[in-house]
Amino acid sequence: MRQRETEPGNVLRDARDRRLPRIPDPCVLVVFGVTGDLARKKLIPAVYDLANRGLLPPGFTLLGFARRDFENADFADLSRDAAAEHSRTEFREEVWNRLSESIQFIQGSFDDDDAFDRLAESLAESERAHGIGGNAAFYLSIPPAAFPTVLKQMERTGMASNEQSGGWRRVVVEKPFGHDLKSSRELNALVDNVFGADDVFRIDHYLGKETVQNLLALRFANTLFEPIWNANFVDSVQFTMAEDVGIGGRAGFYDSAGAARDVLQNHLLQLLALTAMEEPVSFDASALRAEKLKVLGAVSLPKDLERYAIRGQYEQGWLAGARVNGYTDEEGVPKDSTTETYAAVRLNVETRRWGGVPFYLRTGKRLPRRVTEIAVSFKKAPHLPFDATDTTELGHNQLVVRVQPDEGVTLRFGSKVPGSLMEVRDVSMDFLYGESFTEGSPEAYERLILDVLLGDQSLFPRNAEVEDSWMVIDPLEEFWADRPPEKYRAGEWGPKAADEMLARDGRRWRRP
Amino acid sequence: MTTLWDTTGSDVVKALSAERRSAGALAFGLALTLVVVTDQHSVEEAEKAATAAAAAHPCRLLMVIRRHVEAPDPRLDAEVLIGGRLGPGEAVVMRMYGRLGLHAESVTLPMLAPDAPVVTWWHDAPPEKIAFDPLGVFADRRITDVSRCDNPLDALHLRAVDYAPGDTDLAWARTTSWRSLIAAAFDSTSGKPTSAVVNGPRTPPTALLVGWLRSRLGIDVQLEESRGREINEVRLQLDDDRQVSLRRSDARTAVLSLPEQGDRTQPLAHRDLGDLLAEEVRRLDADEVYAEALAAWTGVPGLADRSPFRTHIWRDPAQEKAAREGPEPTGDPGDQDVENG
Repeated sequence: MRQRETEPGNVLRDARDRRLPRIPDPCVLVVFGVTGDLARKKLIPAVYDLANRGLLPPGFTLLGFARRDFENADFADLSRDAAAEHSRTEFREEVWNRLSESIQFIQGSFDDDDAFDRLAESLAESERAHGIGGNAAFYLSIPPAAFPTVLKQMERTGMASNEQSGGWRRVVVEKPFGHDLKSSRELNALVDNVFGADDVFRIDHYLGKETVQNLLALRFANTLFEPIWNANFVDSVQFTMAEDVGIGGRAGFYDSAGAARDVLQNHLLQLLALTAMEEPVSFDASALRAEKLKVLGAVSLPKDLERYAIRGQYEQGWLAGARVNGYTDEEGVPKDSTTETYAAVRLNVETRRWGGVPFYLRTGKRLPRRVTEIAVSFKKAPHLPFDATDTTELGHNQLVVRVQPDEGVTLRFGSKVPGSLMEVRDVSMDFLYGESFTEGSPEAYERLILDVLLGDQSLFPRNAEVEDSWMVIDPLEEFWADRPPEKYRAGEWGPKAADEMLARDGRRWRRP
Repeated sequence: MTTLWDTTGSDVVKALSAERRSAGALAFGLALTLVVVTDQHSVEEAEKAATAAAAAHPCRLLMVIRRHVEAPDPRLDAEVLIGGRLGPGEAVVMRMYGRLGLHAESVTLPMLAPDAPVVTWWHDAPPEKIAFDPLGVFADRRITDVSRCDNPLDALHLRAVDYAPGDTDLAWARTTSWRSLIAAAFDSTSGKPTSAVVNGPRTPPTALLVGWLRSRLGIDVQLEESRGREINEVRLQLDDDRQVSLRRSDARTAVLSLPEQGDRTQPLAHRDLGDLLAEEVRRLDADEVYAEALAAWTGVPGLADRSPFRTHIWRDPAQEKAAREGPEPTGDPGDQDVENG
């Protein structure tokens, strides 16, 4: 991580002067696939929000590249609408007008040498005009299949090289980072070769969320939690990422991937790594990565996959008062598809800190509500000086980190029920970010784009992390390959087999 | 909402906890208590700004409105609101009549959120010495606004004389958008500034911008006076004969000229009082960079070495006129004798 404040170059900056925002070097952001959904809903609005907050450098330029046959004016309209509709901060015409002056559109297909030459020319031109000094970030908002073509074009035109450009050149890629270990190695090798590993930013937008970053503050800024954050006190940990929606328009991609590749491999394993890792020696990118890698390397699968790796597929049912189709009836999904829309697995982390503590991970589509949370469940007190009947309603103490929605932390503990009888019952204490710090938390993409431009790697997984995650997922996929998924009704919390998996261990899923 | 006429501090505290209970707000995560001191005629403006700041940093908002200090009978009227006109959090508006205004802390102290930092903001002209106002003495952060004084520049000087770590003035927050643009300009320029000119009216923000450049760059910085209400331009001469300049083009934009890079239009964030207050409340530790800029402008030394704690100095408005005509206050407020109230 680069700390601008400590650079000797600019005496006007001072680490104590927290009012001055970190602003990136003058640079160009090139977005491939700029007419796509992600660019319209997230990227362009995020760039607008950054401009509105005054966080973009003087001379910032946005170059959009896409196949659509657009005039500059059409593109200006499209991006204006995108920003006006989806921006987090108030839409102000004068901010937009200034930003739009520095937005350009380049039309071309990815195998069109001519288009890339024009792109290189535009890059060079805006560098001259705005004194950008060769700094550019390339956002690949395109299907992975198009990566090799685009990367080769960039290599051919010398766009990807730090040396040739005289500034920094960075590339941003979205998941999926491959579909198994082998393909992800190939993809990583390709991207890392063209750009160099330090300049590759893999976006996992979950890591841009405030709550996820707060997990680190919660663990390492307090004395309260860390002493009990280990196998001596923790009974089990549950990670849940549930979605109420189906697969939307992503049938093609989803049917070939499934829940484990789509969510488990990246979001949930990253959350696991942040929850289970040791304290990093500092919060810079390499120290954080070192700890995450250690944990990911220590993750092991249960021997009995039959019982501890469950996958499911939703059937038709009722959700939120509406009737919804089963997965195989969704448009674009083959009738005989055996792709899973739900996955639950029990993992172990083979370290002294976590030996014997099960980590339960689950994710699914068409579950009753959209929720992501981490629930750390503590052991019961070894001795209770009460009558057994007094504590029948006392469960495990729990610390729940709610990632979304209602970002915050819940602490569950036993308390006496008011009255003359001694009766202990679980109560929840809620901390809601919405209440204490509502200062408009930046959107994940806003934060992550800014980090890319600042060159701060700490919230981006590196190639080794991605590959280690695949090493966990590959054996699961192999095991599941010839087993049909368990069925569950849309609108219930996953297949029965997943509940039985925890019941077998004497536990149950927390209802989020 | 509970409205209490001619009430006591204890009844207000009771009303506050009753409101909290009925709002189910016992688990509110309170980050701080914001005490706003204002006059009857500017209540509305102060409420608007405080509401905006409270939405960004949920806090317990205590509005203290002092009226008719010379009135013979002290009296307290209060309004307790949770999640209403004054934003999502808890708010108590207190109107204090007569000599109760001089003992406002007796009402507010039991209402501070437990163990949370206290920020006091004087929306109107601040006391000459913050130690004169008990509401400033128990605060961890004190925010003044010298632009509300009759002579803002003299008032700014007084802020330096009276300074203690934890004080800031809104004039400083008014320079932030200029400071970030100038700092950003030097991220990509290698030259070393040798002299600078700030063109603007003789107001505290212009003064603090000059002070900031002097303290950071250690060079001669001139104030070139111009008409209007806002800073107009900053020009920095570099050692290689080149120049960097930032010039306001309209209310919300400025043009940045860098050597060999041409002109660029940059947003100059327009911020209202609520935004400025929210910026102040964001950080609760002492702003040392402000102290340095203030010292560089006023020439008052040793600001950072002062104690952040003040002792209340009793002062009766009846004697105020006489005191104002007395000798100029000296550097350390701690030197003053404490009289009994």
